[in-house]
Amino acid sequence: MNNLFDFSTFSRQSTKGILVIYIAHLYKFLKLTWILVFLIVKDFTKITNKIDAIYIYAGIAFFLIFFLIRTYLIFKNFQFKIENEHFILKQGILKKTNTAIPFHRIQNINFKQNIVQQIIGVFEVSIETAGSSTTEISIKALSLQKATALKEIISKNTKLIEEEVVEKQETKPLVRIGVKELFKVSLTENHLQNLLLFFAIVFGLLQQLQQLSDSLGQTEAIDGFIEENTNAISASIFLVIIILLLLTIVALVSSFVRVFLVHFNLTAYLKEDAFEINQGLFTKKSIILKKQKIQNITISTNPLKRLIGISFITFKQAVSGKINNKKKDKLIRIVGCKKEQIEIIKASLFNPTDVENSDKKHPENYFKRRLFIFTFLFLILAYTITYVVYSHFEIFYSTIVVVPIVVFLILKKVKKRFYKISDEMILVGKGLLETHITYLEIFKVQNIEMQQTIFQKRSNVADLILQTASGKIKIPCIDFQEAIKIYNHTLYKVETSQTSWM
Amino acid sequence: MADYFQNSEVTTLPNIIEVEFTKIDKSYLKVILINFFLILIPLFVGLVLLDKFTFTEEITVYSIYIYALFTSFFGLIFLFLIFSFPKRMYVVRDKDISYKAGLFTKKITTVPFSRIQHVEIDEKPISRVFNLASISVFTAGDSSDDLEIKGINKEKALQIKEFISTKIDE
Repeated sequence: MNNLFDFSTFSRQSTKGILVIYIAHLYKFLKLTWILVFLIVKDFTKITNKIDAIYIYAGIAFFLIFFLIRTYLIFKNFQFKIENEHFILKQGILKKTNTAIPFHRIQNINFKQNIVQQIIGVFEVSIETAGSSTTEISIKALSLQKATALKEIISKNTKLIEEEVVEKQETKPLVRIGVKELFKVSLTENHLQNLLLFFAIVFGLLQQLQQLSDSLGQTEAIDGFIEENTNAISASIFLVIIILLLLTIVALVSSFVRVFLVHFNLTAYLKEDAFEINQGLFTKKSIILKKQKIQNITISTNPLKRLIGISFITFKQAVSGKINNKKKDKLIRIVGCKKEQIEIIKASLFNPTDVENSDKKHPENYFKRRLFIFTFLFLILAYTITYVVYSHFEIFYSTIVVVPIVVFLILKKVKKRFYKISDEMILVGKGLLETHITYLEIFKVQNIEMQQTIFQKRSNVADLILQTASGKIKIPCIDFQEAIKIYNHTLYKVETSQTSWM
Repeated sequence: MADYFQNSEVTTLPNIIEVEFTKIDKSYLKVILINFFLILIPLFVGLVLLDKFTFTEEITVYSIYIYALFTSFFGLIFLFLIFSFPKRMYVVRDKDISYKAGLFTKKITTVPFSRIQHVEIDEKPISRVFNLASISVFTAGDSSDDLEIKGINKEKALQIKEFISTKIDE
């Protein structure tokens, strides 16, 4: 047991934390004002007037000092202690907050290291609860010994983690992904999604630039430039091909960079009652995930991944409030699992054989009909609007390509929708290009909902929505009687179960 | 009051479809309609004022159609509110609470007591006039889709809350 540190009185984080917070502040500030800085730097050489230059230097110095003082005050006022099995945190300069989290509410403790923290050798420790995301605590800088000691004290009481970081080397990892595997993983990523993500970032920057140029009155010049170029594009097929090629390369590279940054040196360990996952290049992350807290798991694969023989596995924990993009980051994934590894993970969580051996059931035909009707209504509307706006009849030629693709995708989507149900578990399959299979233990359901529109009533089908602590699982358009049976069975399982659901 | 708290044995797989649901308090329809008119009247007054003062000649030609559109739109909402009202029903059983509603899309939700994190009773100003309250239950996770039953007699709502609270503690 580590008794080197006394947590019963208030203590501050490591003094190195000042640097960590300071750099984080500056980074945030720069991210907001980079255009302004860019402008100043660009025109800096033009400034001949010495007094102007002095103003600028003074301004920069003022900000640097202001942030330093702020950082020091933040550091000074950030104090934590442990009392009566509660983690207590005082923070705030002007608005003081006092947070107390009982140990049994703590869901997981994460160690994180961004590049600055790696250089100066401190760990960021974040304590997460299932409750409101605002009560989450993150201590920016702790030495390894102190962080481990803190983890130990909290875990001793919650039985959250039994392992120490030092023991890592001794156990053999379940999954280890090297650079070569990472490359394979990135090849099988959803490139379309990554491409969109990339463009979102680029457009974000462009928009900022445009706002800037708007204010400088240069929009007309840019508009002319864009117009000229769009005309050129529509004239030349050659250009289109080059752009497509470029897009492909951008997509591949952005996939690789993303996978490489997030999952660098991924290792996952299987432990008595928890998983430990370490990964990351610039930001190193170590997550300890208690098995009992896992609400459901999803196994994702696509044709390319199947070819290489890997799948992704996503663990979902309880979250509160809407699952927005920020919380999506909290999803814990192991990329590039081999089949045997998936089997081990599944078997360590629950007994999946029953549900896997039961019959595969598909949604009723109504599901396919509904998809077709909605998609084609949307297509017709989209084409009509485009025609009204551009009044080129040529746009309808594209239907030769678009309609078969849409039909193919709908049929794929229908085919991938299925569910299997056993006494204890439900397995739901879905996907479009990727295939996602979710395993859910029935007793972990929080509430259940059945929906039936008047059209569905005519076809005697209904939608089932199983609400879990980590989001919804939908089983659309199944036979009404079957839906009632599952509804009743789920309630029965939840109401008679004695096992704690988290 | 006791008959609301009966429940078939859970071990015999109770069928949610065969359970007898209770309609919500009739006076809640008045609350809904008052709320409806509280929105409608200012909008209507606004429209009239627009018509009188800001509409140009070209628009006033069509003002009869604008009024017709306005009336039919809110008329449909009014009809929808009236006809969907009797569909709002709830039932409290020994181990769970259910609510169903919906005219065009029927929806039924059940929350088992063993998963409830907390129960809340709200009294909105207009509901209070009719001695009505709404009862919400919250489970873990995304609570936006948990269950809220509006328009229950306040005493009954308190009883249900009390009942659920004792069940959670068990």
